[in-house]
Amino acid sequence: MELLKISKKDFLSFVDKKISEKKSRIVGVIQKGSHFVFDDLLASTDLRLDYDVTILPPKKYFQPQKEIMLKFTPKKVESCVAVNSYDPITIFGIHYYDLAAIYLMDRAFSDGDGDEHYIKKRENSLLIGSYPQKHFKQRFSKSVVKEQYYKVADLMLVDMGDEYVIEVVSEKGKNYLKGSQLKKNTYSLKQVEEAKTHIKDDQKLPVTVDIASEFLTRNYYHSVWKYFGDKCFSCGSCVFVCPTCYCFNVCEEVDLTLAEGQRIKVWDGCMLEDFAVVADGHNFRRDRADRFKHRTFRKVKYLPEKYRYFGCVGCGRCADACTADIAGPNKVFKYILENQ
Amino acid sequence: MAETYPHKEVIEKTSIYLPEAATLREKKPMTPFDTYFSFELNNRSLGHHPGQFAEISIPGIGEAPISVSSPPATDNRFEMVIRKVGTLTSAIHSLEVGEKVGVRGPYGTSFPMEALKGSSLLFVCGGIGLVPARSAIKYALEHRDDYKNISILFGCKDPAQRLFVDELEQWKQRDDIVFFETVDTTDLSTYLEMSHMDLSYRGPLDEWKSKKWKDNVGVITTLFPKLGDVDPRETYAIVVGPPVMYKFAIMNLHDMEIPDDHIILSLERRMKCGVGKCGHCQIEDIYVCQDGPVFYYSDISYIKGVI
Repeated sequence: MELLKISKKDFLSFVDKKISEKKSRIVGVIQKGSHFVFDDLLASTDLRLDYDVTILPPKKYFQPQKEIMLKFTPKKVESCVAVNSYDPITIFGIHYYDLAAIYLMDRAFSDGDGDEHYIKKRENSLLIGSYPQKHFKQRFSKSVVKEQYYKVADLMLVDMGDEYVIEVVSEKGKNYLKGSQLKKNTYSLKQVEEAKTHIKDDQKLPVTVDIASEFLTRNYYHSVWKYFGDKCFSCGSCVFVCPTCYCFNVCEEVDLTLAEGQRIKVWDGCMLEDFAVVADGHNFRRDRADRFKHRTFRKVKYLPEKYRYFGCVGCGRCADACTADIAGPNKVFKYILENQ
Repeated sequence: MAETYPHKEVIEKTSIYLPEAATLREKKPMTPFDTYFSFELNNRSLGHHPGQFAEISIPGIGEAPISVSSPPATDNRFEMVIRKVGTLTSAIHSLEVGEKVGVRGPYGTSFPMEALKGSSLLFVCGGIGLVPARSAIKYALEHRDDYKNISILFGCKDPAQRLFVDELEQWKQRDDIVFFETVDTTDLSTYLEMSHMDLSYRGPLDEWKSKKWKDNVGVITTLFPKLGDVDPRETYAIVVGPPVMYKFAIMNLHDMEIPDDHIILSLERRMKCGVGKCGHCQIEDIYVCQDGPVFYYSDISYIKGVI
């Protein structure tokens, strides 16, 4: 992989140039109150690459909270047209674990019958990643993410103090850098590696990722599910902030004139009470414990079996967002280990 | 949110979510809640296999997975029996012949009719479970010589909820198959309590007021003893019914020493997308819309809460 470097000052000019060129939507991490979010960049100085974690992961750009799939005249089947929108987008500063999550979503949405609504948004995106420069007390990415983030990143920024080292991951990323004040990398690989990893995770998955699935399967009937399930408010916070949760509902919307309508995809989640309800009202996962177990198993067993990589990227958002303080996967493992 | 780039919406020629139109050609009420529909696609045959489903929609009302009840056809027609349970199914019930619905599919796995050739078939159908099973039953009857014994057990709540009544009578008359049916109860008074429900069709209720049910009364497992000797090595059971029926049906099949890999089930879940993405139909590691709805019991018996 080619390594280049750029001074922070030149990097900001580069971002400003990209904003003014208006060749794509430019998104980055900005501060919002005491938190950070991904949002459109109006000036390079808004970009905050020193963030701990963002409220929502960047999945919202590829699977929006609400997305129109069809437009129609109500009750007229032949009026249905499929609509899509995939404005070119460049996202600055995605932490490596969120990139790993995008890799997983790519797999899910292109598997079998591909979902054009997702795939085209991804094809028209350019992802510039980074490595955390600040602690976040819930993060444990290093124990669950391998190097799959390189499969989706175009460029990776490594903070060297006054300069960034740029890992040029894709051809597309290389082309994007044309016209910027790049220099040859002068740092040793060891220095770069140190800069990438000097912020240690505050947490660690209590078992190794390779045996996690088997470990949970052995504890399928453990009291942990009821113990945590009983505390769950079924609010869905954990699934909405999760970068690898992509479940959705399909709904109809009709405007007040009844002349126009649309079929939309909206975020949905398996922790919500009515997620598995069928036509006659039967709920296949009525108990909170069953829903709690399903979510955990999906991350630790089902997704890895299907897509080879661990379904949790250790970002810690669920643990942070959870009202009952039960959602962090580490808690489940710890409880089982302490209550064998 | 600030816009840094002008937003553009484009029309897609293809999308996995785009339905195609099918015209309602025939409609016939069957029970107080269930109506038979025959739809016709414009330009193609649905191309389904027995046991598969399609996503049926009415723009502005909704979309839902519905089992196909006809066997594979060479023309563009396909049949469904739809129970009125919600907004969409009520809207479909009120469609007139000539009106249209949206169709996506077919989706999912099917009954392995090809692989079962040379074997005996035992159909165990509860209530509306007869709808997907009928697709396989009709296929088997159309290819009667390809199978050894064919037995059909059908049970429903009461005489007014029998489906495909004419066909049931025909099956009863045939001497090359075995057919038994039962009702849980002959008491139709419960319908009086359903005044809150908009019953589509009172025909069978009026009919059974004056007529007396002479056949078996009891749950579907009361029919098993009537089957006599069944060779468990050469028999495959196809079981479709409400969740409560599966456990008891499988217990009876086990008593007959029919092994788990000779038991084939069709499961119901809320298949919103039909293409393995939305997550609604997931049971543990399987997606019912793709890995099912038809399963060998041996492949799923390890899953708690699967039936």
